[in-house]
Amino acid sequence: MGIVNSHHGISCNIKSLLIEKLLAYRITGDSCKVVLDFMLFREITLLLKKEIILEWRQRYALNGILLYVVSAVFVCYLSFNLQRGLLNVVTWNALFWIIMLFVAFNAISKSFIQERYGRLIYYYTIASPQGIILAKILYNLLLMLLLSVACFVFYALVMGNQVQNGWLFGGNLLLGACGFSVTLTMISGIASKAHNSNTLMAILGFPVMVPMLLMIIKVSKNAIDGLPTNVSYDEVWVLLAINVMVGTVSYILFPFLWRS
Amino acid sequence: MLIEKEILSAVNKLFKRSWWKILAIILLVYTIVAGLLAPVPRLAILNETIRVLHFHVPMWFGMIILLTLSVVYSIKYLRNPGTQHDIYAIEFANIGVVFGILGILSGALWANYTWGSPWSSDPKQNGAAIALLIYFAYFILRNSLEDEQQRAKISAIYNIFAFAALVPLLFILPRLTDSLHPGNGGNPGFNAYDLDSNLRIVFYPAVIGWTLLGGWLASLRIRLQIIKNKLHEKLEENYLHASPYAAAQPGSQPLESSADTRK
Amino acid sequence: MLLLNLGLNPLKAQQIPENSPVTSSVEMADTFRQEGKIYVVVAVILLLFGGLVIYTVSIDRKVKRLEKELEIQE
Repeated sequence: MGIVNSHHGISCNIKSLLIEKLLAYRITGDSCKVVLDFMLFREITLLLKKEIILEWRQRYALNGILLYVVSAVFVCYLSFNLQRGLLNVVTWNALFWIIMLFVAFNAISKSFIQERYGRLIYYYTIASPQGIILAKILYNLLLMLLLSVACFVFYALVMGNQVQNGWLFGGNLLLGACGFSVTLTMISGIASKAHNSNTLMAILGFPVMVPMLLMIIKVSKNAIDGLPTNVSYDEVWVLLAINVMVGTVSYILFPFLWRS
Repeated sequence: MLIEKEILSAVNKLFKRSWWKILAIILLVYTIVAGLLAPVPRLAILNETIRVLHFHVPMWFGMIILLTLSVVYSIKYLRNPGTQHDIYAIEFANIGVVFGILGILSGALWANYTWGSPWSSDPKQNGAAIALLIYFAYFILRNSLEDEQQRAKISAIYNIFAFAALVPLLFILPRLTDSLHPGNGGNPGFNAYDLDSNLRIVFYPAVIGWTLLGGWLASLRIRLQIIKNKLHEKLEENYLHASPYAAAQPGSQPLESSADTRK
Repeated sequence: MLLLNLGLNPLKAQQIPENSPVTSSVEMADTFRQEGKIYVVVAVILLLFGGLVIYTVSIDRKVKRLEKELEIQE
């Protein structure tokens, strides 16, 4: 318990509650597969709840990343030195997704890198690796959804809203948030094992993100141009397939990373 | 686990056989002679440069085959950790990257005289460039991890993960985008030579020959690495026997500790 | 003679294949081939390739010798 107490982020009663619940599910869950799956589900919801509570307690991190979004958009606005709505569509689109990319890197890179050593050991003792990676991905998904909506609202406010097919753009934003969180959570885990992990995060992450980013930008361009949704079905399917594939690979590989 | 070991020793044996190396040399000599002399279809813009097909495109095929082998050995490493699997993974990646760089450079040179510029933002060009970026990142990741086992394990994880993300880029995206390259995508003008039997009888042996050459070079580096490991082992043994503790209490506690301090 | 048998005759190269989508109006290096200078190019490239192969084989042998010295089985 010494390690657990040494961390000041979560208060003691939440921790002991978590341990009790998880241990209870561990013990009862040994007997059959259904209970095990149920256990994983419980584990994920508990870990997710813990992440959200933690984030809410240290609101400075969340506020920080929101401020990052706002200042990044504003800096872009100032550097283009434009009246609103004058940016051409291609630039508007590319700029938006580049800002999103950097925001995602900054938001997600802290999911493993900034974890304290003590807290990692604490996780290690109470939760399964699958539970941890899925909870982290889900948490990052929620975070990215919040950030992408915030980013879009502010970006549209400053640069002018050029989107004509709102549903497609919204769906694409959702898929994008999903892709960012699935890919970068795993990359953040890998990078956290090495020194100078922040540089490494970018080096490892950028090339891996490219296929997804290309698809997202293409669909987003279609949405801005107001093309009917069925034109982009191919790209949306590919995007979904990439998400599922990367998610599955993360799920399979994370236990190896976790044990090392 | 036993089967894994058998496969590994079979591959190690194969590395010392010479028939496939001779096959590689014969195929490459055939590629050079037939590639320059055999009849080719007369196509506008390409003219004689169509012969580059036998030298540039196999680089791309070779890269994909060698990188796939690297990923296979990374998977093997995670299933059954052993230094040899890690050596195989890194060396296949190494030679795959060399093929990739040569492919990109030769492609840029060819493109400059046929498509008008060395870089035309073609999906296959971009795909090759991204593949290279991923493997450069893989090498940097390896260098930034100090512990040997940690390095082998984490780089294997990244290798598999990055390859999974690369698959759509290499095999699906070019089908969705217009490309200057023949085959899938647009550009019907160049599709004609894709099916030409005169080119095929040189092109397929060329792909096999170049890939075997890549395998040969990789096998040399793998064997050297194994030799290096063996040498380190021997040096360590010698050090232990030469240490002052060895004479007094052979094989006991001080021996272990002297080995530890050396590390 | 061998080259002729293999169908690698440069004179043949200038014939237009029947299924060719493009006509003979496309300019190829036909004169260059008729003069037989293409063989010089092939010979030079083969020479360079042969040199590199011999070098690689010698490395291979060296590695083999090292392996024997260190008694690496498999």
